[in-house]
Amino acid sequence: MSQFKVIQLECIRRDNILFQGLNFSLEDGGLLQIDGVNGSGKSSLLQMCSGLIQVSEGEITWNGENIIDCRYQFQSDISYFGHSNGVKAGLTAIENMIVMHALAGNSSRINYSAILEQIGLTGMEDVLSSRMSAGQKRRLGLARLFMSKAKLWLLDEPFNALDKQGKAVIERVIVQHCSAGGIVIFATHQTMEIDGYPLQHIHLGNEQ
Amino acid sequence: MSEYINIFFIILRRDLMLAFRNKAEFVNPLMFFIIVIVLFPLAFGSDSALLKQLTSGIIWVTALLATTLSLETIFRSDFEDGSIEQFTLSRYPLTLLVSAKILAHWITFGLPLIAISLFTGFILSLPNQTIVALCITLALGTPVLSLIGAITVALTIGLRGGMLLSLLILPLTMPVLIFSMLAIQNATIGQPISAEIYFLAGILVLAMTLAPIATAAALRIRLS
Repeated sequence: MSQFKVIQLECIRRDNILFQGLNFSLEDGGLLQIDGVNGSGKSSLLQMCSGLIQVSEGEITWNGENIIDCRYQFQSDISYFGHSNGVKAGLTAIENMIVMHALAGNSSRINYSAILEQIGLTGMEDVLSSRMSAGQKRRLGLARLFMSKAKLWLLDEPFNALDKQGKAVIERVIVQHCSAGGIVIFATHQTMEIDGYPLQHIHLGNEQ
Repeated sequence: MSEYINIFFIILRRDLMLAFRNKAEFVNPLMFFIIVIVLFPLAFGSDSALLKQLTSGIIWVTALLATTLSLETIFRSDFEDGSIEQFTLSRYPLTLLVSAKILAHWITFGLPLIAISLFTGFILSLPNQTIVALCITLALGTPVLSLIGAITVALTIGLRGGMLLSLLILPLTMPVLIFSMLAIQNATIGQPISAEIYFLAGILVLAMTLAPIATAAALRIRLS
């Protein structure tokens, strides 16, 4: 049983308090959507949860331990997907996936073509990602979710630049991951079309 | 352990592959190196005694300047496309991944630079023992430049103005330049150079040990 907990978290950016006294807790199978207007601190919250930004006030714990104190354990348990795709323009789809796979610390053999097929990039194994469209690059970046062994996924606007079909694929993976006991926190202002899975909500910003 | 060696080589190969696909990035600083060295015989006249005294110094100073130019790109694209975020949050120590990147930089820049210096040494008819000393000092010195450079690049990444980078790197590399020039001068007059070589080797070991840690810390700061 894993537990991700945020206690009395506060976020200050450029002398503005974005949010204050934020509490939530997620356990195996937890699915949390963060929404809010632009600039309400969605990305900052996810970056804090991943440990990229230091927490000034409040605490974030993973299995009861502060994420800063168990950094490497925590980092091998998370998969973070930010605004930028983490896809190298000078590498082909397969080469990018080899690096992602290695960074995920997953030593099992993987069928790269099958993953490309799942994310709708069939037959693009040897295409340089600089030749891909914005949506295709986003899909390639999201391929790391298919290779990850991580328990906790932190996804920042995963549906950006994706078409309807791409969005459906990612929604399916997210639900699959949660059903298998994973935890997903994602930020988006799009409506999720997930039927039959309990979805928690956090709304940031003043506008109700 | 083998897992760590594996990821090191995957990142190394990734960076080498990227460098060879985008050749301008590492060839241009090397061209700059050659052209600046060639300018000096044109300015002083190719057979002047003054030039003979200055040549190895010119090669070293130009190497410093060219390194500054080539280092600018070491983390830039990784920073822009989010790769650094992924490195930082991977299960492997950022220090290890950064070391692989620095080694890749040295292979694509330092190694060819040594080869070119050897060649220009012959063309500018330096004495043999001077050329040998020049190559040894460059072999020990260029990795130090890559390592120290990586720290300052990590600190200044995302900031505007490439000048700041040069202003930070050049003072830090002065000890390397001083010991290298001493070694070359001693070699030219037939004196032993082991003392300077040991010093350079010492600086290299120190930089290899500490620079990746400092670079990783600087990258974390830049991300937050």
